[in-house]
Amino acid sequence: MSYVDAGYAVGLSVLVLYAIGLVVRRRSLERAVELSLPPSDSADGAAETGGASGP
Amino acid sequence: MWRDALLVAGKDLRIELRSRVALWQVLPVAVLSLVLYAFALGPVRQTLASAAPGLFWLAVLFSTVLATQRSFAIEAGEGTRDGLRVSGIDPAGVFLGKAAAVAAELAVLQIVLWAAMTLLFGVHLHTVWLALVASFLATIGLASAGTLYGALSAGLRVRETLLPLLVLPVLAPVLLAASRAWSGALTGSVSSGLSWLRVLGPFAVVYLVIGIVLYGPLLETA
Amino acid sequence: MSVRPEIPSAAAPRPRWLRIVGVAAVVSTAATVWLGLWVTPPDKIQGNLVRLVYLHPPIAWVALYLAFGLAALSSLLYLWRRTRSLFWDRLAAASVEVGVVFNALTLATGMLWGRPTWGVWWTWDARLTSTALLLVLFVGYLALRRVPADPEVRARRCAVAALIAFVDVPIVHFSVIWWQTLHQGATVLNSNLSPTIHGSMAWTLLLGFIALTLVFVWMVGVRYRIEVLADRTDAEHLEVSLAERWAEGDLDIAAIAAIAATNASNGGTGASLRPPTRVGP
Repeated sequence: MSYVDAGYAVGLSVLVLYAIGLVVRRRSLERAVELSLPPSDSADGAAETGGASGP
Repeated sequence: MWRDALLVAGKDLRIELRSRVALWQVLPVAVLSLVLYAFALGPVRQTLASAAPGLFWLAVLFSTVLATQRSFAIEAGEGTRDGLRVSGIDPAGVFLGKAAAVAAELAVLQIVLWAAMTLLFGVHLHTVWLALVASFLATIGLASAGTLYGALSAGLRVRETLLPLLVLPVLAPVLLAASRAWSGALTGSVSSGLSWLRVLGPFAVVYLVIGIVLYGPLLETA
Repeated sequence: MSVRPEIPSAAAPRPRWLRIVGVAAVVSTAATVWLGLWVTPPDKIQGNLVRLVYLHPPIAWVALYLAFGLAALSSLLYLWRRTRSLFWDRLAAASVEVGVVFNALTLATGMLWGRPTWGVWWTWDARLTSTALLLVLFVGYLALRRVPADPEVRARRCAVAALIAFVDVPIVHFSVIWWQTLHQGATVLNSNLSPTIHGSMAWTLLLGFIALTLVFVWMVGVRYRIEVLADRTDAEHLEVSLAERWAEGDLDIAAIAAIAATNASNGGTGASLRPPTRVGP
């Protein structure tokens, strides 16, 4: 494997792995927040934005 | 601001004179480290002589960490820091005062270390004025950055391990430039030494100014 | 439950622009890789090694200037009273973490380029040394961030740390000019302002900068949201624990201290220890 290939491989794989890590962290935190929202809070939630509907 | 600075500096130095912690703990550790460097590098005169300026400034660097930790430890008592804050003293003045006290301690330390270095490593300062100017500028940089980071990490339970991690990289350029400048002073190559002074100067100014500007915001109550 | 003005409702959906940026980032990066590895010609002197120019300088630019620059600017805006808001603190934190990743990549790709070019993996010349120092400085920031503290106090500490660390960045840029160094002179921003790179290589390089910038923006966007959510869940934990204890009616000083201690070690917040008002004494 040439140095060029190694460079591209290292660069891209680190970026991809970090990106995946970010997405995973975000998803688990969103789930945690959703779970901890008590039912009486849905009034606040609805007033603000109307629920999670993002991409 | 200057009057407050003198007040605070005087207070810190008086505490030091009375408790003599820097004298009996920081100074001996610094000299000890020079001895340890000799153990680590071996007794060959050449090696030690060429490494001398770097080792000198390494010792000064670690002593700076100790001195600034001490500078904030004396205020760790209940409400002392709050007392300082509400007393109306200009925070920039507090910063200057504490930094000046640390700088004074570092200056004394450097004189002793220079003597020890001359004795233990067998080196002689060729161009004394170059070494003095470099020391002056470096000490300002070290004391300013050290004091700012000391305030930043004061009150943290992990202070002992976090402060070195935070402040040593910031002090590293000063270490580099001061070592090169002293290397020039030891060998007499003034021109190379001078170019490193051009690095030390801006660092001293920048760290001093940053300290003056950011000390207040750092300490203010939420 | 008390409303905290600085933590937006977790029910807020993910911003749509973020997904668009993400897609654009992937597309442009893929295009850069394709162009860089296969379409562009090899260099007369460096041969195929020059292909790393489409990756290494853009990564370095993102790390040093974009990421840490944004972190420093945000830190400044946080410290300045007129614009003080935890938004800037969280943005700075996100930017630093992404910046550290890019900084490490700068060094890694640089080493992989340097080894065949100069024959050594590492040398203590000004640019490499400054870049490595910068990494350590901002790793220190991340360590500082992990120390549990009231969000405002933590924000102030980290802002100061970021600003000082940023002082190192101009030194990295000017080090190439100030000192004799093994690293090549600036390709685009040299003193003549005439780029030494031309044709398809120049366009691919430009695309590389754009692509990595988009990647950076996307990463900071996601990381910022993570920061917001993390602060929110910390606050949630404390509130829920306290509400449960009050409801059980056996809350006492020892329990308060225990809860506070656990939450301090998990990354505490400035949440009040007073009971929620709707739960009676």
